[in-house]
Amino acid sequence: MDAKQTEIAEKIKGILVENLRIPAEELDYEIELFGDGIGLDSIDSLEIIAGIDQEFGVQMTGVARENFFNIEALSKYVMEHLEA
Amino acid sequence: MADNEKRCVITGLGMINAIGNSVEESWNNCIDGVSGIKEVRSIDTSGCYAHMGAESAEHFDVDAGDDADKMDRVSLLCVKAAREALADSGIEINADNAERVGVIIGSCVGGAVSIQKFFTDREEDPDGGDPDDIIKMPIGVIANNVAKIAGAKGVVTNVGNACAASTISIEYACDLIRAGVGDVFIVGGADSFSALAFGGFTALHALDTDPCSPYNKSKGITLGEGAGILIVESYEHAKARGAKIYCDVLGGGISSDAHHITAPRPDSEGQMNAMKRALSNSGMQPSDIDYINGHATGTPLNDSTEIQAMQTIFGDNENTCVDSTKSMVGHCLGAAGAVEAIYTVKALGSNTVPPTIGYSEEDLINLKEKAGKLDFVPNVKKEHEIKYAMTNNFAFGGNNASVIFAKEPKDIKPLENNRVYITGFGLVSSVGNSVEAYIDAANGGGALSADGGSLTAEVGAEDFKEHEIKLAFYRKLDKLSQTQVVSGRSCLKNAGVEVSAENETDIGMIVGTADGPATEIINFHEGLIKNGLHAGSAFIFPNTVYNAAGGYLSINSGVKGVNVTLTNGMQAGLQSICYAYNTVRDGAEKMMMACGMDENTEITRLLYDKLGYLAKDGGDMPYALKGKEFVLGEGSTSVMLESEESANARGAVRYAEVAGYAMTHEAVSVGTLAGSGAALDRAIKDACAGAGISVDDIDAVVGFGNGNKTVDSIEMDSYERVFGDAKKPVHSVKTVVGESRAAAASLSAVHAALMLSGRLAPEQQAFIFENKEAKTVTTDITQYRNVLVTSFAAGGSYTAVVLKKA
Repeated sequence: MDAKQTEIAEKIKGILVENLRIPAEELDYEIELFGDGIGLDSIDSLEIIAGIDQEFGVQMTGVARENFFNIEALSKYVMEHLEA
Repeated sequence: MADNEKRCVITGLGMINAIGNSVEESWNNCIDGVSGIKEVRSIDTSGCYAHMGAESAEHFDVDAGDDADKMDRVSLLCVKAAREALADSGIEINADNAERVGVIIGSCVGGAVSIQKFFTDREEDPDGGDPDDIIKMPIGVIANNVAKIAGAKGVVTNVGNACAASTISIEYACDLIRAGVGDVFIVGGADSFSALAFGGFTALHALDTDPCSPYNKSKGITLGEGAGILIVESYEHAKARGAKIYCDVLGGGISSDAHHITAPRPDSEGQMNAMKRALSNSGMQPSDIDYINGHATGTPLNDSTEIQAMQTIFGDNENTCVDSTKSMVGHCLGAAGAVEAIYTVKALGSNTVPPTIGYSEEDLINLKEKAGKLDFVPNVKKEHEIKYAMTNNFAFGGNNASVIFAKEPKDIKPLENNRVYITGFGLVSSVGNSVEAYIDAANGGGALSADGGSLTAEVGAEDFKEHEIKLAFYRKLDKLSQTQVVSGRSCLKNAGVEVSAENETDIGMIVGTADGPATEIINFHEGLIKNGLHAGSAFIFPNTVYNAAGGYLSINSGVKGVNVTLTNGMQAGLQSICYAYNTVRDGAEKMMMACGMDENTEITRLLYDKLGYLAKDGGDMPYALKGKEFVLGEGSTSVMLESEESANARGAVRYAEVAGYAMTHEAVSVGTLAGSGAALDRAIKDACAGAGISVDDIDAVVGFGNGNKTVDSIEMDSYERVFGDAKKPVHSVKTVVGESRAAAASLSAVHAALMLSGRLAPEQQAFIFENKEAKTVTTDITQYRNVLVTSFAAGGSYTAVVLKKA
C-alpha cells in the first residue's frame, strides 16, 4: 500500500474501532473482517458503508463483497473511487 | 390459590391508529382496505431514502386527567385507547374492585419523542433540558399513567419486548387471572411515531420506499403509530356484572430464537415454537385455526420465514386465512400486537377477514405460487366462518409471541401447580461479579463507600473469558447487555445447568429493568441530532430496545424458552421473580432466570442529577431520613427459579422456596411516591397470604430504602402499620451496592435466599425501625424461616415476595 492508501486504511480502521467497538489491537489491514476473522455481519456492513460515506463521500451500497474482505480491500476501493 | 380452569374473556376494546380514532372507525376502514400510509408528517424525513409512515391523527381528544402535561405522546395515545376500552367494557372501577384490576402495557420506544426533545434542547443549551421530559422518557411510566386514569390498584407493569410487547401483555394478563391475582386487566400497547424508530429502521435499510405490502413484494416495513387496549377479564367476573363478551382468550405461546438480535431464524424454529405452544396450551390442532393475523412486517426476511413457519404448521389446512393488517396501519411496534389482536377479535366476531392490500394483477399471480392452500386475502375482505383465530408477533431480540382467541369457550390444557425453588444466582455488581464477592461484601457490613456518589460495576475480559464469550459477539453489546449476558451466564453456571438440545426450550428468562438501555438510546439519538435522521447508527439501533439484553442472553446461552422484559421502575427486578415463578409453577417452563438490570453511566447520572436524586458526595445511608439524594449503582442480578421436579431430578442446590408474591399499585402523580404507602401494606399482606402464612410469621425483611427520605419513610411507616409492635429486622442490599434499581430489587431476593440457606455469616447487621427512626442492630439470621422481600417504583407500584427456607 502506498502512503495515500495507508492513510485511508488508518481512517477506516478508526471507523471500525469507533463505530463497531472493535479493539484496535485486534485489527490489522489484512485480517478478514467478515466470516472467521473479526466476525462482522450484515448490520456491521451497513455501519461501514455509512462510515465510509461520511468520511470519504464514497458510496459502497451494493458493492461486491470482496471489496469488504479486509481493511486493505476497503481502502483500495475508497482510493479508486475518491473524487479527484 | 391458582384456578387453572379459569376462563379469560375479552370485554372491552379501544384503539387509535392511522385509520381511525376508535375501534369502530379503524375496523371499518380496515375491512374496506383503506390505507393509512402517507408521507410522514411529524418528523422531517427529507434527508432519508424513504418517506412513508402511518401516523395517527396529529391532534386527538383525550381526557388524560391531572397529569396530562406530564405525559409523552405515547401515554396520551395509550390513555385515549384505554378510555375507549373501559367505556366499551362498561366496567366501573371503584373501591370494591380496584385492587383486582391491573394494567399491563407493551411498548417499544416509550417516550422517544421526549428523549429527542430533551437532547435537542441541550444541543442549544448544554445545561438545558426540562426535567419533566426525563419523567416522560422510560417505557415504565405508561402503565402508571393508564392506572391513574382508570383507578386500577392491582398489578401494574409494562412489557418491553419491542414488537411482540403487547401480544405478551395479553398472555400475561391471562396467566395472572388464572393465578388468581386479579379479575380484570387493562392490557395492550402503545408507540408514537419517533425519530428513534424512523432513524433506526432507515439505518438498517429496513424501510420500504413504497407503502408496505407484506407477504407480497415489500422490501421493508412502513412504520405506524397508535395504541390498542383490550380488557381481559375472568369469565366469572364478566358474567357477574353482565358484561358484553367478545370472545375467549385461550392459550398463548412465547419463545426465543437464540439466533440474532434483529434477524429471525432461517429455519423459523422460534416462530413455530411460539405458535405450537399456543396451540398446545389451547388444547388445539393446527387445523382448528381459521384465521391468522400475521406479524407480516414486509421485510423479505420476516415474510419468508413467517410464510415458511405457517406453511409447515398450517399448510395442509383448507380453512385458514392469513392477512397483514400492517398493509393499512403500518408497523405500530409495541402497539402492533394489541392493534392486531383487536382486529383479530373483531374478525372473529363478524366472520370477516380484513384484506392485505397492495396486490397488482401480477402480484396476484406470484401469490398463487407461494400461498399454497393458505388464503392471504389479497386486496378485498373475505366473509369466512371463524371459530378460532391466532395472532402472531415477532420482535428484535428473537422474541416470538402467539395467542389464540375463540368464539366459544373451550377447555385449555390444565396448568400444573409446581413448587418453585431458587437454585442458582449470577451477579454483576459494584462489589464484584460473583455470589462469593457479594457474600464477602455483605458480611463486611456493606457500608456504602461511594466514590463520587455513585457505584459502578465492571464487566471485562475476565468475564468474557470465563464464559467463552467471543469478541465478535460481545463487541456488539452495550454495557447493559454485556452486564446481563455475564450475569445470566453466571447464573446458569452457578445453578449447574448446561444448555443442550434436550433442555433449551425448557429454560426461559424474565428481565426486569427500570431505565432499560437509556445510554444506548441516547447515544443513538445524539447521533441523529448531530448527523441527521438519515445517518443513524445501524450498529447501535438494535441495542436500543429494552429486550436487547434478554435477546443477547438467549443468543449467547442458547436458551429458547419464554423471554420477557418487564419495566416499571426499580421493582421490575422483583416483578421478574413473580412472573418467572408463575411460569414455572404453571409448568410452562422447568427453569426460569429472573433478572434485574440497570446501568450507571454518565448519561444516567445526568438524568438522575437533573431530577435532584443523584448523591454527589458520598450520599446518605438508607433510612437516614435526611434528603432526597441517593447513591446510584448498577449491575445485573439473575436468579434461577426451578420446579421441584426438575431440581430434584438433577440434584440441584435449593437455596430457598418461592412461596408467595403480590404486586400492587396506588396511583400518585407520575414520578412521585408520597401517598402510595397503602399499596405497600397490601403487597406485604397479600404476599404472605399467597405464601399461606400470616405477617407474624415473617422473620425478617430485605427492604428497598435507598437514602431518599420519601422512599424510606413510606417503607418504615408501612412496616409499622403491618407488623405493629413486632419489630422485624430489615436488611438492605443498597448499603452494599447502592441504588442499582432493578438489579438491587433482584439482589434483595438473592440476599434473602443466601440468609435462608446459611450462606451468609450467622450474625448480620440489620435495621430496626422504632419511633420513626432506624437503628442498626446485629441479628442472628440462623433462625429465619420466612423472609419478605419488597420493592417499589415511582408512580406508586410495589412488589413483595415471600421466600421460605427450603
